[in-house]
Amino acid sequence: MLTSYILITLIAMFGHSEDFLGTTLLSRPLVLGPLVGLVLGDFQQGIVIGATLELIFMGNIKVGAAIPPDVITGGVLGTAFAILSGKGPAVALALAVPISILAEMVVSGLFVFRPVWNKRFDRYAETGDYRGVERLHILSGLLKPLLMGVVTLLALLLGSEAVKSFEETIPPWAHSGLQVAGNMLPALGFALLMNLMFNKEGAPYFFLGFILTSYLKLPMIAVGGLGVIAALIVTNITHKAQPVPANDSDFDDFDMDETPVMVKPKAALLTQGDIRSLFVRSMALEANFNFETWQNTGFAFAIIPVLKRLYRTKEGMARALKRHLQFFNTAPHGSTLIIGIAAAMEEQNAREQDFDEESINSVKTGLMGPLAGVFDSLFWGTIKVIAAGIGTSLALQGIALGPLLFLLIFNVPHLVLRYKLTFIGYETGTRFLQDLSKTNVMDKLKAGSSILGLMVVGAMPATLMAIRTPAMIGASDSAVPLQGVLDQIVPHIIPLALTFLVFYFVKRNVKTAYLLLGLLLLGFLGSVFNVFA
Amino acid sequence: MIKLLRIDDRLVHGQVALTWTPAVGAECLVVANDKAAKDDFLKMTMNLAKPANAKLLVKSIADTVTFLSDERAKPMKILVLVNSVQDAAALAQALPEVRSINFGGIRGKEGARPISKAINVTDADMTLIRELLAKGIELEVRQVPTDEQRPIETLL
Repeated sequence: MLTSYILITLIAMFGHSEDFLGTTLLSRPLVLGPLVGLVLGDFQQGIVIGATLELIFMGNIKVGAAIPPDVITGGVLGTAFAILSGKGPAVALALAVPISILAEMVVSGLFVFRPVWNKRFDRYAETGDYRGVERLHILSGLLKPLLMGVVTLLALLLGSEAVKSFEETIPPWAHSGLQVAGNMLPALGFALLMNLMFNKEGAPYFFLGFILTSYLKLPMIAVGGLGVIAALIVTNITHKAQPVPANDSDFDDFDMDETPVMVKPKAALLTQGDIRSLFVRSMALEANFNFETWQNTGFAFAIIPVLKRLYRTKEGMARALKRHLQFFNTAPHGSTLIIGIAAAMEEQNAREQDFDEESINSVKTGLMGPLAGVFDSLFWGTIKVIAAGIGTSLALQGIALGPLLFLLIFNVPHLVLRYKLTFIGYETGTRFLQDLSKTNVMDKLKAGSSILGLMVVGAMPATLMAIRTPAMIGASDSAVPLQGVLDQIVPHIIPLALTFLVFYFVKRNVKTAYLLLGLLLLGFLGSVFNVFA
Repeated sequence: MIKLLRIDDRLVHGQVALTWTPAVGAECLVVANDKAAKDDFLKMTMNLAKPANAKLLVKSIADTVTFLSDERAKPMKILVLVNSVQDAAALAQALPEVRSINFGGIRGKEGARPISKAINVTDADMTLIRELLAKGIELEVRQVPTDEQRPIETLL
């Protein structure tokens, strides 16, 4: 048993290494669940439990400095306990939710603690010791997997027996109650997603997604495909190519040509390899994420190969390191654009005596917020949603392709874009953004991704939530099942109605924790009184 | 009307574009910042980041007051962004409509101390905060809409 515990701990540690791995979703329950299943000899169940947990945590995303529940620890331990106790997804849910909330406190504690090293980083910078900066960045990054590894191992050693004996005392009616309660929870995930996307203009696409799945029984992949087509058709009609935003009076005097323009000079000091290493190192952007200076050391870590090439003197290196240890925070997926631009500016600075060094940081800080807005919306708001929708719909049936597709759908566009943006940033500087702002590409992309995202979310209640009613209507001998009647009118109306119910409360700012408890209670009581199954 | 007045030193970014704008149903984002109002580069980047179905205006504090006092602004659902307690206090002073201020993010700097994960305040900020509280204006600390809403007085 100890061997499996250690292997499971390693899986949790791998998940917590995500900050070195470029936020590639390797740490999501949908991916780690099957790995835990593999260790415990039940791959199939690992896939299903991972998918179930993914659904519940679907609405929890990391934007800016807001830290969601720790789904890594919660997901790994929840899956492990569920398989060990042999009671399936219901147990995984009952455990994963509280565990992830507790574990989040530990992780937050680490983010609060990390700034104690900032003085040391500054000292390294003073002396131009870039190796010191690199070393400390990595060491601090390793702390998270180590710390959470210890937490996971302790929980496994202390918790397994307790969970098992607790499980044995649960009567069957309570167990099925727990099962139904767990099946209710995806409604919260869907509602949180709707909260990000749903609006009056988008409502038709949401219901289109619902109808395609509930009446036409289309699989999620088909909805995704149709969503892409719908998005293309609609944005081609509504966003005819034209210069923007001529009619916006606030931008009348918006003279682009006065803004700083950086174009890659002919005799470059940096090599293609240097630029590629910016991309590779950007993967560790968040390794030393902390609540004081956020991703600052990650930025410095990423740009060090360029600084090494450009600044041969200790003084030059020291000044550059200090520059890049200032507060920084952006969406990791698009961070390479800013890193590339900063590299181009550093190159210019190294070449020109009278270059204004301050401008490097003002461009960085000017871009980090807005670009986080662009890339958070694109990756968390759209691509992640589609990847999770398709991935979980397959994984819930125990198909191993689910987690794989989940990773591919997210990471193929992510990594291609992340790589390209490094070079675009370096080669065209801010010119790329200026050109982009003169076209309507961004508006088109935002409108299109909102259509696609809403269709996929609309398809979720019908495909990913298994709540039915066993109630009968009519006198006892001629009674007909209510579900049969509902299926004749609107199939999957119950999951849809529950999703809208939760959405209603989310809109009224009811706390997520209360909604979670409310849903669990509703499901449990509903099962006991034979309203839900 | 002002649906939300938020202090956030990154102004328009992920939390604002992705969570706050839909949560308060904002049709118009007003960035009230004297520096940004004069900086075309900043304006351009913020314009790229703005949510699809919202309008973005970047105005000086004085122009923001004029704009928000205008009758035509009354039917609009507006989200106002400032990057300092000082600017928020200036708006609250000039606009009686402001009854609540959201503290979203103020990074740490020399002379500032953290009062929550994302909020750092200086002594000057503290004076302004007490003045605002004395006027009965609600000051709540929250990064994203689904976070717990914490009154600032519980954190001081």
